[in-house]
Amino acid sequence: MPLVTAYHRPSTLDEALDLLSSPERVALGGGTTLNADREPSDLEAVDLQALGLDAITAADGGWVRLGATATLDDVRRCDLLPDSLRDAARAEQPSTLRTLATVGGLVAKASAESLLLAGLLAHDCRVELAGGGSAAGPSESSLAELMAAGLPEGSLITAATVDPAGRTTVAATGRTPADVPIVAAYGRRTEGFVAMALTGVADHPVLVDVFDPTAGLDPAGDFRGGREYRLHLARTLTARAMEGLR
Amino acid sequence: MAADVTFELNGAPVTVAVEPHHTLREALRSLGMFSVHYGSDSGETGAAAVLYDGRLASSDVILAASAGGHRVTTVESLNVSPELHPVQTAFVAVGAFQSGYSAGAMILGTLALLEENPDPSEAEIRDMLSGILDRETAYVKPVEAVKRAAAVLRGEDTEPFAPLVLEPLTDGYRPAPADTGGDAPEAPHAVPRLVPSREVPDMAVVGKPEVKVDAVRLAKGNPAFTDDIEPRGMLYAKVLRSPHAHARILGIDDSAARAVDGVHAVLHYGNTPRVKYASGGQSWPNPHPYDQVSFDDRVRHVGDRVAAVAAETVEEAEEALRLIEVDYEVLPGVFDERFAMDPDAPRVHDEDDTTHICDPQRNLVHHIAAKRGDVDGNLAAAPHVFEQTFRVHQVQQCPIEPHISMAWLDSDERMVVRTATQVPFHTRRMLAPLIDMEIKDIRVIKPRIGGGFGAKQEMLIEDIVAHLAIATRRPVRLELDRAEEFFASRTRHPQTITYRTAVDDDGTLLAQDMSIIGNTGPYGTHGFTVQIVSGLRGLTSYNAASKRFDCHVVYTNIPVPGAYRGYGAPQAEFALEAHMEDIARALDLDPIEFKRRNWVKVGDEMDIAPHLGERAVAEEELDEYPKIMSSGIEECVAQGRREIGWHRRNDAVWKAPADRPNIRRGMGFAFCMHGTAIPFLDMGGCSIKLNDDGSFNMLIGATDLGTGADTVIGQIAAEVLGVPLDDIKVYSSDTDMTPFDTGAYASSTTYISGTAALRAAEAVRERLKARAAMLLEVDEPCTIELRDRRAYAADGRSVSLEEIALDSLHWQEQEQIMGTASHVSPDCPPPFAAQFAEVEVDVDTGQVTVTKLVMAVDCGVAINPVTASGQVEGGMIQALGYAHCEEIVLDDDGRMVNPSFGPYKIYRADEMPDTVVYLVQTMEDSGPFGAKAVAEIPKDGVAPAVRNAILDATGVAINDLPFTPERVWAALKAAQT
Repeated sequence: MPLVTAYHRPSTLDEALDLLSSPERVALGGGTTLNADREPSDLEAVDLQALGLDAITAADGGWVRLGATATLDDVRRCDLLPDSLRDAARAEQPSTLRTLATVGGLVAKASAESLLLAGLLAHDCRVELAGGGSAAGPSESSLAELMAAGLPEGSLITAATVDPAGRTTVAATGRTPADVPIVAAYGRRTEGFVAMALTGVADHPVLVDVFDPTAGLDPAGDFRGGREYRLHLARTLTARAMEGLR
Repeated sequence: MAADVTFELNGAPVTVAVEPHHTLREALRSLGMFSVHYGSDSGETGAAAVLYDGRLASSDVILAASAGGHRVTTVESLNVSPELHPVQTAFVAVGAFQSGYSAGAMILGTLALLEENPDPSEAEIRDMLSGILDRETAYVKPVEAVKRAAAVLRGEDTEPFAPLVLEPLTDGYRPAPADTGGDAPEAPHAVPRLVPSREVPDMAVVGKPEVKVDAVRLAKGNPAFTDDIEPRGMLYAKVLRSPHAHARILGIDDSAARAVDGVHAVLHYGNTPRVKYASGGQSWPNPHPYDQVSFDDRVRHVGDRVAAVAAETVEEAEEALRLIEVDYEVLPGVFDERFAMDPDAPRVHDEDDTTHICDPQRNLVHHIAAKRGDVDGNLAAAPHVFEQTFRVHQVQQCPIEPHISMAWLDSDERMVVRTATQVPFHTRRMLAPLIDMEIKDIRVIKPRIGGGFGAKQEMLIEDIVAHLAIATRRPVRLELDRAEEFFASRTRHPQTITYRTAVDDDGTLLAQDMSIIGNTGPYGTHGFTVQIVSGLRGLTSYNAASKRFDCHVVYTNIPVPGAYRGYGAPQAEFALEAHMEDIARALDLDPIEFKRRNWVKVGDEMDIAPHLGERAVAEEELDEYPKIMSSGIEECVAQGRREIGWHRRNDAVWKAPADRPNIRRGMGFAFCMHGTAIPFLDMGGCSIKLNDDGSFNMLIGATDLGTGADTVIGQIAAEVLGVPLDDIKVYSSDTDMTPFDTGAYASSTTYISGTAALRAAEAVRERLKARAAMLLEVDEPCTIELRDRRAYAADGRSVSLEEIALDSLHWQEQEQIMGTASHVSPDCPPPFAAQFAEVEVDVDTGQVTVTKLVMAVDCGVAINPVTASGQVEGGMIQALGYAHCEEIVLDDDGRMVNPSFGPYKIYRADEMPDTVVYLVQTMEDSGPFGAKAVAEIPKDGVAPAVRNAILDATGVAINDLPFTPERVWAALKAAQT
């Protein structure tokens, strides 16, 4: 694990942003990513737990706002969210880690294999940011754009907001039932529109065209699934998810 | 810089000084919370899980500083009285702990779950357990424990946990009528189904589901494991490991490392004696070649030792490692056993001080050959000859407790090594020459072990801590991290296995010709003996007129294979049972009928067995071949078929469910036969003495890895002595204190060490009878019976064991009543089993879901049916991982790409198939109270049963492991073209 040389626990967002303006400092959410990192680099931890960003609340228009330091276990328990998102939060980490892992950490990590991120994508997730050099104060970005562009330097995720409406379905393939899927499809149908997000086919989960789900995809293979296999799964699982939305 | 952090621990505020990098796990252990165990740095094992503000959380990934202001609960919070909390009691009652390494986490998770939901569903229980990886129980009994705890806390009555006793379906010898057994019995999966034998008498302690002797210690999280004591002034060791699969070390500059504050020693090839050895924990003399030294100027796999540092802190040791400059000449590597003998393959060992390598130019360590009968003649004349090649892969044992050792010089300047080992006596003997000390000046202590599965049948790191303790004259501790456990510990041997089998028109085997290329990696260790067992298991299960074994054991540059539960049998039985299945299909025979026609039965010779093994003999040297003396396989098959619903194999509707068009279902079977100890080699000793109160201390060298060996051996002694198990206080093992034992391997402990205990107890019993006869004024002590803590004369008069003890220790003709015995067996009675698997195959994606596993085992008399069934449950799930999802994956440079749980996938609680165990009793006269072995046979049949189930479901045979989705998909696709 990295060698944490100093620990900070800011109590305001401004204080946190100020601390994070130094490159050797890293935001600490639940610690499941940072403290599990096997690279032995020195860093200072800026613990976000005192910022009051852990609430999950109903937002305008029926949307749900997930505070950045809300844990995946909080998401799993939230009855404002559809079962598919709550199940995705459950599946994201086992019981002993999901109580620590945070929504902000999930978004910042942008893991290609994250089913919950795919779910957030399908639910039109918007990400609220603070800092990042914007004089205009807090900003908002779509999750898809944020993952494609990367987190702006010096910025801090404060919340993610999703539209819970619609019918949803998930199709996935893994080595075992609870394995991190090699490829997964999270589909959501709202009036006149279907959003389909895939994991395991790009650097991060992506929204795809349901009629041509592999268009533009060039997945890197690994020992769990080569490129061709992942493309095959993308087509197969998208079709299955579409079937589930009918 | 250290800073104080204050949090609530078990209801009271505590303040502790922590460095910024300290984790909550480290802080808790520094506060004496020894129930919190290390499993990995990234928290996925759950061994260090605590309640964090009331929710289960891995303390490995919580910075101690982050915990400030939070509420932390460990299992020590429950230990407010000698009695157990009801949740602890429930886990103990159902035998939910084996090693108990993660006991604290399971109990805490249960508390939190039940506080939130007093009546959780099984899915909710399994979800709670999903973060606590258990390599031992298959989660079957932990789930039952949570249900039981919930019921108790709801105020409901619970029945004592006991086996479900069933009527036999056969006469013990002949097969049952096909599929006429009716419905399988209803009972929770955790309950072992027990089919008693008429030959086995009812006993007071043996055969009973006794609570484990160490249950309270484990349930309370009391300090019991290697790391749970901390000698004053202890230094921390870390090992610099090779980044290259193969390289020559041209030089090492350790000056900067030595200059780091807190560093006390840096050891490497330049300052450590070059003493050749073989690290496999085996009896003297260890099989050659002795191809290792503590630190070499050559590295032969990624992760090989380069140097070791001892420092005041782990961080200082790690800093020193970073500053060691190593000049490598990188050499080409070879990884695939099939190419290791090629003329242009790089030579893994070209040093001139390693002898007994069969052909070092070809990386050929051993060539093993054995034969009986005219194989070539039978193959040439047979109407049917089948040839198939199988490839089995490399996996790791994955004990949740990694290797850990500490060493110090005691006040007599003797070397004391406290270590997580399966082989304390072998370790003592093997360590002596490496550190230039005599055996008598070394003491090896084996405390509680958090799982081993063969990985700890090795002197893996004990020499490092001993060298460092000598260099520093301070206690030194070394613990492998999870990644090191994967690539710098021990693994299962990959093999390429080819069978050629000749079969008569009626399905009778005429010849079996088995050849293996075994990959022993860069060092021999267990390379010879593992392949021998492959031959033994691969060629003794079925009768054939002629048999031949031809095996090449080769060096490569993969992480080092060694002993792994099953020890060569899982590889061989995968190939054998797949091969036999395919032959049956090719001949249009029912697979079970075809196998039955040929499998060994009572009275049959194990005809090639004596020609294999560490003390193989030629045919002309033998008076007779060993024979099968007991077998319950027909009852196993009958019970297993009924439980799995074997008749559905022919049900088209079941096999292709209309509502799931991409799913095909199938069932598979594997016949399993294992060994029980190594004849003429495995030896165990036992010493028993009487105490003032009529209880007994029992000292054994056998090493309980969590298997329940201490309990089972205690039950054997208790039965003989007529006392409850609680009156036998078991201690194991310490080379200064306990009798010799070869160690926990080869399915030997119950059979060998148990017989030693039986004989020691018999010796004590004779003295007790004599003293009782004296007190009761009975002329013939042989008429005295021991039961219920008393000695009874034939006329009904009795005297208590306490009275005998007080009389013999304090009153007249004083003596210490004690008995010592040891045992080595000329026999190796095989346990048998029928393994069944049910699968669903997604034919569009290749995903295989194993929905049910059933194993019916003839292990003789199960001394403790609960611990025995726990062994089978855990073994089956390890075996399922081998079949289905576990694999060490190396990149082109020999570097492991998945050295953590997750990428290296082991099953967790929320994805388990249904798992049911049947214990079919037979009376094995050579075993203690009729016992045979049970520890390893569950590893043998799952892979072929799953493979045959996939074949049944799809018509596609896959001959490589594991059955990952892409591999299955590719096979399905190939079959379509």
